[in-house]
This record gives sequence, structure tokens and C-alpha cells, in this order.
Amino acid sequence: MSAARRRHPQRRRHASLQRPQTASRPAPSPSPLRLFWVPLALTLGLLLVSFVPRVQGNSVLVQSVWAAAGGLLVWQAVLFVRLRHSSAHRSFHTILRSQHYLQATLHTAVFAYWGYFWRPVYDHVWLLVAQLLFAYAFDMLLSWSRRDSYGLGFGPFPIIFSTNLFLWFRDDWFYLQFLMLAAGFMGKELVRWQRDGKRTHVFNPSAFSLGLFSLVLIATGTTDLTWGQDIASTLTLAPNIYLFLFVIGLVAMYFFSITLVAGSAAIVLFGSSALYGAVTGVPYFIDSEIPSAVFLGLHLLVTDPSTSPRTSLGKAIFGMLYGLGVFVLYAALGAIGVPTFYDKLLCVPLLNLSVQRIDRLVRSLQDNDVIARWRPDWTTARANLVHITVWVLFFSTMTAAGATDGRHRGDSVPFWEQACAEERPRACERLIQLETNYCGDNAGWACNELGRHYAAGTIVVADRDAALGFFSQACELRFQAGCVNLLDEGAPSRADPRALDFRLLLREAGPNLLEMPEPELHARACDHGWTFACDGSTE
Amino acid sequence: MNQMPPPATQPDRSTSVVGLAVLATLILGVAVWMYTQRPAASILGGAGSAVPSGATPSDLPGFQPDVWYLPDDDLLGFVEIPEGPFQMGGDPTTDRQAFENERWSPTAAQGTVSLPTFYISRFEVTVAQFAAFVGATGFNVGDATLQGRPNHPVSSVSWPDALAYTRWLDATLRESPQTPPALSQLLRDSWKVTLPSEAEWEKAARGTDGRIYPWGNAARSERANYQGEGTTPVGAYLCPDCPYGLLDMSGNVWEWTRSPYQPYPYDPANDREGLGDDALWVMRGGSFTDPERNARTATRGGGDPGARRPFMGFRVAISPS
Repeated sequence: MSAARRRHPQRRRHASLQRPQTASRPAPSPSPLRLFWVPLALTLGLLLVSFVPRVQGNSVLVQSVWAAAGGLLVWQAVLFVRLRHSSAHRSFHTILRSQHYLQATLHTAVFAYWGYFWRPVYDHVWLLVAQLLFAYAFDMLLSWSRRDSYGLGFGPFPIIFSTNLFLWFRDDWFYLQFLMLAAGFMGKELVRWQRDGKRTHVFNPSAFSLGLFSLVLIATGTTDLTWGQDIASTLTLAPNIYLFLFVIGLVAMYFFSITLVAGSAAIVLFGSSALYGAVTGVPYFIDSEIPSAVFLGLHLLVTDPSTSPRTSLGKAIFGMLYGLGVFVLYAALGAIGVPTFYDKLLCVPLLNLSVQRIDRLVRSLQDNDVIARWRPDWTTARANLVHITVWVLFFSTMTAAGATDGRHRGDSVPFWEQACAEERPRACERLIQLETNYCGDNAGWACNELGRHYAAGTIVVADRDAALGFFSQACELRFQAGCVNLLDEGAPSRADPRALDFRLLLREAGPNLLEMPEPELHARACDHGWTFACDGSTE
Repeated sequence: MNQMPPPATQPDRSTSVVGLAVLATLILGVAVWMYTQRPAASILGGAGSAVPSGATPSDLPGFQPDVWYLPDDDLLGFVEIPEGPFQMGGDPTTDRQAFENERWSPTAAQGTVSLPTFYISRFEVTVAQFAAFVGATGFNVGDATLQGRPNHPVSSVSWPDALAYTRWLDATLRESPQTPPALSQLLRDSWKVTLPSEAEWEKAARGTDGRIYPWGNAARSERANYQGEGTTPVGAYLCPDCPYGLLDMSGNVWEWTRSPYQPYPYDPANDREGLGDDALWVMRGGSFTDPERNARTATRGGGDPGARRPFMGFRVAISPS
């Protein structure tokens, strides 16, 4: 554990122990349960949120907030009555942990930057407020249902924020968001084990609820009820998102010594991805070396110090396992036709469960003479700085090699067409996936190509209905070949992308190129391998 | 706020069991609930449209509910248009309202087009007929498509929606024992249910004597629903003087054709040469929203194939492949 990590808990403990003595010694209490006004106020606050225009715009959303508030009110009433009969009292103690408020600050920075380029994030702000109010009240009541005192601090902030950085339900299903949060807090409170002589929670609370609900969403085929897919793919709308997350990550690394976890996960992912690319000739993660949402996850999801190993080697193993887990799950989920964005969410609870084994493994390795012999004479803080330096160098190298922000070879559709024609591993599958994404973005060219693939049945199983559906979509987007193909099913025709299609096809995971002048668009298309666009006459 | 030191007491163990049970129930409940709510699997997304109960009544005078609400006559509402030539296009010397896009060529106002025999439906496709298709296939349609009365023309259909209906009707008529023998024979002979071509539509509307409106050369508001308030039941405007006994060839709703919108001269053998990148498809006949000029038989509209508007519908044809 780093010196920084060691120092902070002491400071925190002092804060929580001294403040009652110096600032607010308990006065003779008129009622041992008078603090129930706090969850009541939070619940009323939640009810008030239901009247803001953002929530009022959807009746299911309003009902979801009311149902959450109603549940909290009933719980308060029952608990109040039960405790009053037993003459019990309930209280607060303060827990001001820097890992809570600093992480919440970093999360807020990510929301602010990402939301500037993807509007639904800012539209979600009132729902974040509602979730925070719910979370505080729920956590408080859960705690008071089981013990005398509730630790008041910033704890719910990172739980809510990190959950919402990866998954939130659409308005019509938002009541499930409250249930997901409830599951996270219950997991934190109820699923505990003895670790290093202390009884502590097993799972990272947000990762626990995300993991559980991911499983349910996968099992029931209901991913569309959430924004998950959009969340995973819109981070890159923010320019230089990798650099931004890297800088954010450095702050967390400096204060919480998470460098070994995040860094080793990133190195494993970059390494595996590069190795796969070198062997097969195609990128593993379609259009990046590490998907931006995974890069976010390995900085702000998997790095909860309470649920990860405490030794340096343990952290490194933990990070490597996360990297490997994401790498394997990405392929496994893709193979069974499940959205691959779950890769970063599913393996965290499993890793949390393995923490004690990792700790034991590290202890046994440290008993080994050979390993024990090499122990640099560094303080933990100094070691952390060394780790950060290595990480900075590594990230700089990857950036210089074009593996972070900027154009990626997998952004180019002609690259995947060529790779598919050459029968490179999974290239045809990726081509279909890419064209499906672009068709979903309303690129008529991509819809027509999908129609052709389903009509021909060479790289996907032939499906006439699907082919006609995609031709219809292309036609409705005024892509002429799509309309013609609806009339003449025999030999589907194709045509080059129009300027309108290029504004989508060439976006390189960034925003659509709606303002780009056509000559520039064609030059970019030429760079992407669209040979017809290299002819000056197309300009 | 009253602040107390951290408690020395341990959590109540009995609540752990209850809590875990609640957590397990919550997860299980959510899973079951989500499972029941999941949309039907579809490669294109969407769960299929529901058919409003009013769209498919058990009885609809003049139509056969058990035969997909097609008209109650020998050929299920299809009318034969005999082979032969007709004059296509608008001639401004005889029709002062003719649009420039109706001109056949720089040297001729009209052209002669010869078509083989084909069949075209007497009425525009109705809401009930389209609802039968949606009910049978789960086809996704816009919210407004099936909201009209069952005997009114279906509207708010895109060009691909209209073609999807014709494909379904073609397959259904081929397989069904309820198909009249004459139609079955046509389909066996490689004829096909589809949208009329623009030339087929114009010939069916104006006949072979080159009339400006289906009933003659002067506008008559009692013959067709143009400049009106909304759609009317198909066939509500009688037209004894219209060629071939077809109804609503003018007004009510614009009708999609299977022809791409491009300059004349029209070549019935190949109407897809030199197509532009940006798709527009011909629609004919004008609608209840239009002035009399658009209700002329030669008027050509270029429709965005993705447009679903309350004044756009279609009728079907059976043409030789």
C-alpha cells in the first residue's frame, strides 16, 4: 500500500472521530429517532425532482421517481415505528474519504467533457440528481436497518457516477435504474467477507450492480432497454478522449496508487490487441486498440482500492486479469451474438471475488526466495511515481504509434472489404458489424450493402426478408440502388457512396462530418481507400 | 445535524439473511419482468406493428373480409387493360395546364407508348387491405398508417411499404385456394402483382383517347375527391364515364408507381437507364389536398420514397414479368 494510501485513512479517521468532539457534541436528544428527517428530506427532494420538465416529459419517468420515493417512504415509516417500539436510536458519523470525493470529481469531469459532445449526457443530469437522492436515502435506511449509525460522506457519489458512466436505462424503463442502484447498495452492505482481519464488502458496488444487470440484460435479450450501446460508442465523439481519460487517470493514479491496476490492464490489452493484429492482419477491436469505454473502465471502474489487492504484485496481477478478461469476453460475447460492450462490466465482479486468492498467491510468491531477493528499496509513494512514469512513457509510445486518438486503420470500410475478401479472421463479421452501425446511422449505402450480403448469402446466412428490409431502408434514405433492388431481386445492384453517406462513413468514430466541404470529404475518402474518390472529377 | 462517533455495534446478522433474500428476489423479479418485456427478435429491430381493431371489421360492404378485404367481384377488383398504344404526356396546345415535365421531347409534346395487357385494381388499396397484410406479416408501419377508416385508401405509406404489400399479395394469391382461377393462371404464367408502371397508370387513367381527366377534358368536382378536406371511401365518387371502370384515378390520394422519376421520353422496355443518385419515384393522380391541375391524368409527381404522408397511397397492378 502506498504512503499516500496509508496517510489518508488516518486523516479520515481523525476527521470522523474528532469532529463530534470539537464541532457538534450530541445535545440531549428530544427523540433518538429525530434524524429520520434526513431520509425524509431526501425523499421529498426526490419527489421534487419529478416536477422538473426533464422528468415531466415522460409519464413513465415520473411514475418511476414516485415509485422510488414511495418505496423509501414506506421503508422509513416501517423502520421508524419498529425502532420507536424498541427504544433504539440512530445516528450519523462522518466519513470523508478522498477516494470518494476525488473520484466523484473525476467522474464529473468525464461527464462534463463527454456530454459537451453528446447531448444525452447533459439531458441525464436531473436523473443523476434523482439517483443521488435515492442512493443516499436508500443507503441510510439500509444502514439503519442493520446498525445504529450511518457513515455520512461522499460514498454514494462515485457509486452512482461510475454506474452511469457505463449503463443507464431509457426513460420508459427508468424504474429499473433505481432497482439496479438498490442491488448495488445491497450487495455492498450484505455480501461481505473477512479480509485482512476486517469484515468488508466483496464487490465494487457499482461493478456488482452493473455485472448483475448486464447478466440479466444479456439473458433476457433486452439490451435495447438501456443506453448501454450508445454510451459505449459515443465517448469517442469527444475529441482526444484517450488523452483526456489518460490525464484524468493520472490524478487517480497519483492519489490512489491505482497505476499498477490500470496500467497493467492497459498494457495487456494493448499488447494482446497488437499481437492479434500482427498475426491476423486485422485489428481485434474493429476501430481501436482499446475501446475508449474500456479505457475509461480500467481507470475508473476496476480500480476501487477497497475491492482490489493491496500489494503491488497483487494489483499488477489484478490489472492483467482484467485486461485478459476484457480481451476474452469481447470475443466470446461477439461469438454468441451479444453486444460486446458488456466485456468491461462482466469481469469486474469475478475479479473482486478472486482478490483473496490473488493476495494468497502473492504471499506465496513473496515467500519464494528468488522473488523476495529483488525488492527495490523504494517507499510506496516513490514506487507509485515510478509506476506512473512507466505508464506515461507507455501511453506516449502508444499515442506516437497511432494506437490511441486519431485515425485507426479499422475505421476504413474498404480495409474491411479487402480483409473480408482475403478471408482474414472475423473480417467479414466485422464488415457486417461496421455496415450495420453505419446503416443504423442512416447511411443508405451501408444499408444497401447489407441487403446485398443477406441476398447473396456468401458472408452471412442468406435471409430474403432481411435483405428486403435493408434495401427498403436504403431506399427510404433515397439511395437509388436500394430502391432498384426492391424491384429486381435477382441480381442486386450496388453504387458508390454519396457525399451524404461519406459524411457518416468517414467519421472515424467521431461526430458526423456534416459541415465538411465535399472536396475535403473526397480527399478523406481517398485516404480511407475509396479509390473512386481519388479521381479529381468526383470533386 | 447530530453527529455521533462511529458505532461499536456490529450489523444485525438476522437482517443479512432477509436482505440477501430480498436482493435475490429483486434480481429474479427484474429478470422475469425484463424477459416478458423483451421485443420480438428481428434483424432489423422493431417488434412489428399492432393492427388497430377498427381497421379489420368483420363486415365491410363491397369487400371480402375472408379474402384479405379485396373487392367482392370475380377478379378480386382487378380490371383488365387491353394491350395497345396510347398517347402519353401533356400537350400544352390542348391542355393549358400541362406541366413542363409532362413534355415528351424537345420536338413532341406527347409520345405514343404501346403496352401489353395488364390488370390494375379498380380501387386504391384500402386501410383494411393493408391491415390484413400487417396482421399477417407483422410488418412495421408508421403510427398513422392504419388509423384511417377501413374502406378509405391507406395513406402514410412509403414506396417500400407499398412494394412490400404487393410482394405479400403476390405470394398470398399464388398460394391461396381462394384466388380466382383466372388470376391463378396469370400468376402461374409468370405475371406478377406489383405497383403499376407510370405508363400503365396513365393508360389506365386516360384510356386511348387522350383525355385530360379520367372522365373527359374538363374538371368535374363530383367525379373525384380533389381540393377536399380528407380522404373519402374508395369508390365513393362514381365515374361512369371513366375508362375501364376504374375509380379514384384522380384525387383521394397520390398513388405510387414502380417508375423512377426521370425526364421523358418514357421507354417501357427500360425505365432505369441513367438514373440519378438521388432517388425519386413517380406518383400519380393528385390527392384530396390538390387543385384540379394535379388531378389531371398526365400530372407527374416525384416522391421521396421514404416519405409517409397522409395524402400518399397506392393501387396495385398485375403485370407480365
